Amino acid sequence: MKQSSNPALGRKKLKQALEAYSFLIPNLILFLSCSIYPVLWALKYVFYQYGGYGTGTPRFVGLENLARVFRDKVYWESIVHTFTYGFGKILIIIPLAFFLAFLLNTHKRGHGAVQSIIFLPTIMSSAVMGLVFYLLFNAYNGEINQYLMKAHIISQPINWLGKDHAMTTLIITAVWGGLGNYMVYFIAGIQQVSTDAIESARIDGANRLQTIWYIMIPMLGPILKIILMLAITSAFNDITNVMVLTEGGPNNATMVASLYSYQYFFPISAAQATVPQYGYGAALSVVTACIAGIVTVFYLKLSKKLDDIY
Amino acid sequence: MKRKKVTALGLAAAMAAASVMGCSSDNASSTSAASQNGNGQTEAQTSGNESAGEKTVINIWSKDRHDAAYVQEKIDEYNANNTDNVEVVYTLYTDNYQQAVDMAAQNGELPDILVYQNTVFDKYVGQGQWADLYSFMDEDMKTYFADVITPGYNEIDGKLYFIPTTGTTCRLFYNTEIFDRVGIDGPPETLEEMVEDAKLITSQLKGEGIYGFAENMKSASSALERSMCIGLQAETGTNYGYNFKEGKYDFTLWAPTLSLWKELLSEECAFPGCESLDIDPLRTQFAAGKIGMYFSYSHAEPGVYENQFPMDSSKWDVAPIPTVGGQRLGKQYYDGTSGYLINAKSPNLETAFQVYKDIFTNEDYLVGYYEGGYGVSILPSILEKANPSEDFKNKKWLLINKETDALLPKPPHAAFTSGMIVEGEDLYKTAESIYYGDADIDSTLQDLTDRYNKAYEDAIANGTGWEIKIDNYDPMNPTLE
Repeated sequence: MKQSSNPALGRKKLKQALEAYSFLIPNLILFLSCSIYPVLWALKYVFYQYGGYGTGTPRFVGLENLARVFRDKVYWESIVHTFTYGFGKILIIIPLAFFLAFLLNTHKRGHGAVQSIIFLPTIMSSAVMGLVFYLLFNAYNGEINQYLMKAHIISQPINWLGKDHAMTTLIITAVWGGLGNYMVYFIAGIQQVSTDAIESARIDGANRLQTIWYIMIPMLGPILKIILMLAITSAFNDITNVMVLTEGGPNNATMVASLYSYQYFFPISAAQATVPQYGYGAALSVVTACIAGIVTVFYLKLSKKLDDIY
Repeated sequence: MKRKKVTALGLAAAMAAASVMGCSSDNASSTSAASQNGNGQTEAQTSGNESAGEKTVINIWSKDRHDAAYVQEKIDEYNANNTDNVEVVYTLYTDNYQQAVDMAAQNGELPDILVYQNTVFDKYVGQGQWADLYSFMDEDMKTYFADVITPGYNEIDGKLYFIPTTGTTCRLFYNTEIFDRVGIDGPPETLEEMVEDAKLITSQLKGEGIYGFAENMKSASSALERSMCIGLQAETGTNYGYNFKEGKYDFTLWAPTLSLWKELLSEECAFPGCESLDIDPLRTQFAAGKIGMYFSYSHAEPGVYENQFPMDSSKWDVAPIPTVGGQRLGKQYYDGTSGYLINAKSPNLETAFQVYKDIFTNEDYLVGYYEGGYGVSILPSILEKANPSEDFKNKKWLLINKETDALLPKPPHAAFTSGMIVEGEDLYKTAESIYYGDADIDSTLQDLTDRYNKAYEDAIANGTGWEIKIDNYDPMNPTLE
């Protein structure tokens, strides 16, 4: 192609390019330094044994950290716990959030206030939330047990944070903390649903339930796909709750993959002699990220149908 | 159109500036917070110089919450009265002390003075980070603190790095009122008796919400480091499973103790919800008279029940940690506390030492510290002069007892700065898998022994560790070197 020899045109192109780069460069710098560099850092240390600053130079160990991940029974148990936690949370939070969004998506008096109250936990600190839930759920004087006993639902206090119930308690906490967020997503989705389609269905004789099932839910497909994907990926990263309430215990009953990796970087209330193991922590993080990636790809394949808007 | 583009460019520049400023303003605010908190030495000095003319700012970092009010009061007095134009800034880190020190060390921003913590000390002593106190101390000072200077502990290769003025160890704390109610004469001397006592209390008083035993089991390491591991030092003569004479780990000796701990943590004995209990909620329940016995540090509890969760002193007492069959083959550890490290790279090194000397080693401070219940003095002159609270006068096991307590050498996993990489669960989590899980005691402890010994051998082979063996080691008269 013949190049333009018009200097005015060249200046215009240069100006356009400058404009474009002025938008791009700051974000690119931040993206590279805050996202890409830490990932590369973690990938590098997968092949090293390193305890952090002041513990000597990193020692190259080849693939040993990765091999160790595959021998680590507790890690694979933590993956199972992560799935239990994630699916438990999704199974409760998605229908509940949709139901609330459907109920509250009106301009009736008081609905705005109820929406705000349900959304409130989302903006609260997870650590504070965890402490409050500890006070509510502890076995010896937790209010949940006291209410249940007063209502004669139980006769003995339930050890909510003991090994048999700790995971259920964590899921309840996670649902409470995330419900408002998912409700807002659903409200945004419901507001996009064409009222014409709903009115047509009603004219055709569909009742309220049929309208929801055959019109509204299918039309929410694309946003439901995003909501589910966010729920799945966040289940892999959710650690604050677990850290504050149970620290992964008792006896690793609530140990999730991200907390297990995290404690190799920052030993939590650990013994004084514990030295961080950055290399092994990085290997765990990389394997966990791969598993999360596989799950996401698998989900995206499965959920392709949700893209088809009726 | 042109105007629009100019506006767009302007906005883009503003956004970029905002994002960059966002970071830098964070930095700025953290710098300013750092200045206020003494988070960074240089910043703090700048801030100090700006706000107080030519004053030299000395930063002190601490991890100790329990004595913070007392120390702050003494620092305020010093700031108000010193004639050397020095201003001391005191900053308290609690849970993240080690991390804060690591970050500061990495950036060359360590404060001038830091409260001693063994991991902090060990990690940086080899890098020449801590000042040799001998080079500043006069003969009087050396003589005054001679009793608390121990080669291999705070004196290494003829250099003195910190001076502990108080000490701590672990004991059994029990509620005398509960003991009286169920007819128990005195504290248990054996672990078997302790299990029986706990069962008795729980069976008789469970209806009132009173249980025999509790421990802060939410974190296995935090719980066992103040209880079982310390009892095992005395019971087996090993330190965290390490036999110094043979130069290897042997956790199989833990089997009888762990078997009894499993009972101690069963529903027959333990406070419900022990699995998720932190130490402070435990203390509130002990103060409320709901717990018969628990283990903790001797230096902390008197202050807790005096100030934090008030409890009548006559309702609780303290005893040595019971062992299986009362067997005592060695001494249990005590650690020196209230020691301070001085940053050898501080630009105000001499002033820092002078501040340390004036505030933390003067007799008024040390007497007040002990009398206030912030720590158990280990200095003979202070023990002689001070008039401590009734707790320390009447409860002899709150004090460090040279018959039962000693400074112990560090086992390899604690001694090696770069750690000893043990594959699989550490000793605390392994113990947890026995008392809260179904792991078989004997095979699990044998596996733990094998894994620790392998990690130790690997560390030596890799050059990240060295052999630790003391041929003539006597657990009843332990030596550090």
